[in-house]
Amino acid sequence: MEFIACSSARGPDVAIEVLLPKLGLTMESGLIEEWLVSAGTLVQPGEPLMRLSTDKVEVDVEAEAEGLFHPAVAQGSELPPGALVGWLLAEGEAVPATSVAAPTPTAAPEAAEPVVAAEPGALTPPTQTGRQFVSPNARRVAREHGVDVTQLPGTGPGGRVITADVIDALEQLEVAAPAGVAQGPGVVSPLVRRDAVAAGVDLGSVPAGPGGKIRRADVTAAAARLGAPETGGPAQVIPLTGMRGVIASRMHASLQEMAQLTLGTDATMDAAVELRARLKEQWSAAGIAVPTITDFIVRAAALALVRHPRLNASVQEQSILVQSEINVGIAVALDEGLIVPVVKNADRLALSGIAAETKRLAAGARSNKLALPDLEGGTFTVSTLGSYGIDFFTPVITPGQVAILGVGRLRDSVRWDGATPVRTQVLTLSLTFDPRPVDGAPAADYLRAVVDQLQNPLTLLA
Amino acid sequence: MTKTPVKDDPVTDLPPEVLRDLHRRMVRIRLFEEEAGKLMEGGRMPGFLHLYVGQEAVAAGVMATLRPDDVITSTHRGHGHAVAKGADLRFMYAELFGKSTGYCKGRGGSMHINDLSIGMLGANGIVGGGIPHAVGAAYAAVYKGRDSVAVPFFGDGATNIGAFHESANLAAVMRLPVVFVCENNGYAEFTPQERHMLLKDVADRAAAYGMPSEIVDGMDAVAVYQAAGRLVERARAGEGPSFLEAKTYRYYDHQGVKGLRIPYRTQEEIDTWLERDAIAALEQRLAGADVAPADELAQVWTDTREEIAAAITYAENSPDPDPADLLENVYTV
Amino acid sequence: MREITYVKAFTESLMQLMAEDDDVVVIGEDVAHYGGVFHAFDGLLTTYGEKRVIDTPISEMGFIGMGVGAAARGLRPVCDLMFFDFIGVALDQLYNQAAKLKFMFGGDVSVPLTLTTAGGAGLSAGPQHSQSLEAWLAHVPGLKVALPSSPHDVKGLMVAAVRDDNPTVVVLNKRMLGTKGPVPEEIYEIPLGHANVMRSGTDVTIIAVGRMASEAMTAASRLAEAGIEAEVIDLRTVQPLDSTTILDSVRRTNRALVVHEAVTFGGIGAEISSQIQEEAFDYLDAPVIRVGAPFSPVPFSPVLERAYIPDSNRIADGVHRLLERSGA
Repeated sequence: MEFIACSSARGPDVAIEVLLPKLGLTMESGLIEEWLVSAGTLVQPGEPLMRLSTDKVEVDVEAEAEGLFHPAVAQGSELPPGALVGWLLAEGEAVPATSVAAPTPTAAPEAAEPVVAAEPGALTPPTQTGRQFVSPNARRVAREHGVDVTQLPGTGPGGRVITADVIDALEQLEVAAPAGVAQGPGVVSPLVRRDAVAAGVDLGSVPAGPGGKIRRADVTAAAARLGAPETGGPAQVIPLTGMRGVIASRMHASLQEMAQLTLGTDATMDAAVELRARLKEQWSAAGIAVPTITDFIVRAAALALVRHPRLNASVQEQSILVQSEINVGIAVALDEGLIVPVVKNADRLALSGIAAETKRLAAGARSNKLALPDLEGGTFTVSTLGSYGIDFFTPVITPGQVAILGVGRLRDSVRWDGATPVRTQVLTLSLTFDPRPVDGAPAADYLRAVVDQLQNPLTLLA
Repeated sequence: MTKTPVKDDPVTDLPPEVLRDLHRRMVRIRLFEEEAGKLMEGGRMPGFLHLYVGQEAVAAGVMATLRPDDVITSTHRGHGHAVAKGADLRFMYAELFGKSTGYCKGRGGSMHINDLSIGMLGANGIVGGGIPHAVGAAYAAVYKGRDSVAVPFFGDGATNIGAFHESANLAAVMRLPVVFVCENNGYAEFTPQERHMLLKDVADRAAAYGMPSEIVDGMDAVAVYQAAGRLVERARAGEGPSFLEAKTYRYYDHQGVKGLRIPYRTQEEIDTWLERDAIAALEQRLAGADVAPADELAQVWTDTREEIAAAITYAENSPDPDPADLLENVYTV
Repeated sequence: MREITYVKAFTESLMQLMAEDDDVVVIGEDVAHYGGVFHAFDGLLTTYGEKRVIDTPISEMGFIGMGVGAAARGLRPVCDLMFFDFIGVALDQLYNQAAKLKFMFGGDVSVPLTLTTAGGAGLSAGPQHSQSLEAWLAHVPGLKVALPSSPHDVKGLMVAAVRDDNPTVVVLNKRMLGTKGPVPEEIYEIPLGHANVMRSGTDVTIIAVGRMASEAMTAASRLAEAGIEAEVIDLRTVQPLDSTTILDSVRRTNRALVVHEAVTFGGIGAEISSQIQEEAFDYLDAPVIRVGAPFSPVPFSPVLERAYIPDSNRIADGVHRLLERSGA
């Protein structure tokens, strides 16, 4: 079972501080949804203290040490990683005098020079009490672009969500902003300008993106061309998890970003089904994870991607970035929505390895205990609607990828052996692809390759 | 009421038409005001009125010396001045009713009646507010080479306000053709004169500005006419401004007929002035001097009543202003 | 183009107006023989004579009221109120008479009166000789109020004001009298009620009144070095107020700062701010802030006065507050 531990600082005769953990590289703030223990409760290491949510995940955060728990901030506070949220006290120990009654904003701004005519508090909304403050213009722009403001961190005074935060979110989603966005064409936002200054990029040399606007991504690309080192890791970290709003906004964003075509074809699954039955007999007895039909398809898809790398890519402004790894995300339906855990290096895992991994991820997804690495880094997605009785559908590409394979239900069908009808089992594969990196013919080739593997399932054991 | 003995008087030195004209003006004012007072206190007219009843001789006497291009400014108690200057009674009543056909298109009411075509540069609701305007009008006349004069009317109370002093001094120093006419009715609103200044004669103030002055019986239309005539001619001849104090009295309250019904004047005092009523006095003189027979004088009353009745009908039947036009004339476009 | 001072541009406007229209006369204290305490009326007496340029006694109520009467009777008087602070002794003639005659007399009487005056602080003139009271006058229906911010604008706005048939107050700024700028030689008019966008920008709209327009431009240059592009609007008149230009700009930049020399509380910035939030609420990324003087009379001591009067530093600080972000 995964658990996230709070960082804590221990010193002699000093209360153990409970700090807000950093969940993932890009976490800017976390919302304390709920305190799971009441003040004064004795907790043991590993016991959950609070439910914390970010824009990506919701996790239970456990105590790292023993003590009487005393919260420092209110439920509903939104704080940056590392913020003091409480203490673990020894018996009889007093709550430290430096208790913070109210949470500090995301980052303490530099104290402004006192101005004789300063209007007190004009710009700062009241201390965060769980209510999110959003500027009217930010709301308007978010609404126009289908972005859910409630998911956004606010960098305005007092943590207010301002237009630049919405624009950042849009840029991170790699969505081309239409010309009607808050800043018009030919315009550079302060944020982008700040990026350019920090990266030593001359804005005049950066080609503008859609609508004549220079975005953060453009500056980053320009910096890369300067030889400035990129932070290591995968080409792009694209958030894949969804609370409802994020799913909705990303679907919308995806379809806005690119044209999407879907090809469908049937795969005859008799051989695969039979192979699976035999594996089940022998592997389960030996304690080896038994693959599901979906696992077969994941492996087939991954192996086919080796020979058709263009479908395992990401489209940038001026180029197609072919990914170095093949990480297949598998959409898992939840009560509240969709979650897409990722099988890393699916081309290099054996079928049994894939089986074990998907089992682990599915269990984690359902019990809401997935870690961030499980959700990041996908380069291709497989989406199954078979259990819902669907044959063919038009899955929507995950933003940042170029293809998604939809899997329909395994169903009885008939094939013709000469003039003789033969009962068979088939399922429909629906491949939606982005026509920018790949035309219809190569996409069809890929799909054919997947089908071939499935219809010759022993190749999947290689 | 005992009849005042008709003394030997210089009436016969004046053409009969002048006297009849004085009489007519006074009757028009009297009846206009009486009817207006009834309408307002009877609830048929909005707002409040400051009635001129009792002071008719001053307006009539002064106006009879002026030409249409001579400009007057008036006060909150300005109906008498407007009527005497020749205003159209229909448009006056219409304004009192707040109708769109009124002199101010319903925007001003009683205290802002005006008609530039007859030289009536408006009545003013601010005590002393119109006095500088008359000085300005006189300056414009001189500037344009016209020989018209300007006559601001004001009460004894107004001579205490800054605008009066500044205007008097300005007119004197600039030698403008202004005749300052003070209708001293003994009260500044509800405060008697002896409590708001030490002077008995307001005209004494004129000397402070180097201006000549005259004091006249404000209940004697002929006396007012003659005194005003002298001062107007002086101004018209370019000899500078002067000050005329007419001692007079208003029969009704500061505002309305019965007004606030708080007695601050004795009935005895009121009766004293009633006995000296200017219209009655003039009628006596006219009859006595055989200038106009009684029935002719009575006809003036009858004719005036008819005219007033028609004017009120006209006014009451006029349309109200349209709220859609509310912002009209805030600025000159 | 030749450059002349703010005060000379003012004098030139009157010279040319009095030449083109015989009905224009100048009335005020020390305007004729002395040429005005700020030398704003130099040369008018010798050119146009005593009938048209008149020295009055110290009687603001009297001579401004005289101006009202003269205007009603066909002249086009320019009455000079030596210091804006003196408006109190004459206010009735301005707001109860000049402003209302057209309306309450039913439209037949116009008052084409121009009231010129000098306002603003910075010369250690003390609390009763340094005020900016344009908000009082902008509040009166029937008046127009102009605050020129440059020599070019003084001449153009004066011409418009004198030619306008409404009572118009033109407020010169005492500290600008000696500033030089390009001014066309011929007579020209700047229409009242049209703001001047002095500088285009994308990040914030700075709306300025009077002398604060040049402070705003200074602030904008400094902000540009920090990568912030401010749009600077010089209102030119506070009545009529060019709301269209203001709102159009704020809808583009999403942030607004209003700056005026007058006390912040109840200043014209309050009206502008209110209009912006009412008409462009959904375009605001931050509250509208005002930079004005503190709630006290103008102090005499130069040290205090410097701390009192808004300047480019306070404007730039205000813009930084509007744009501040954390953690980005």
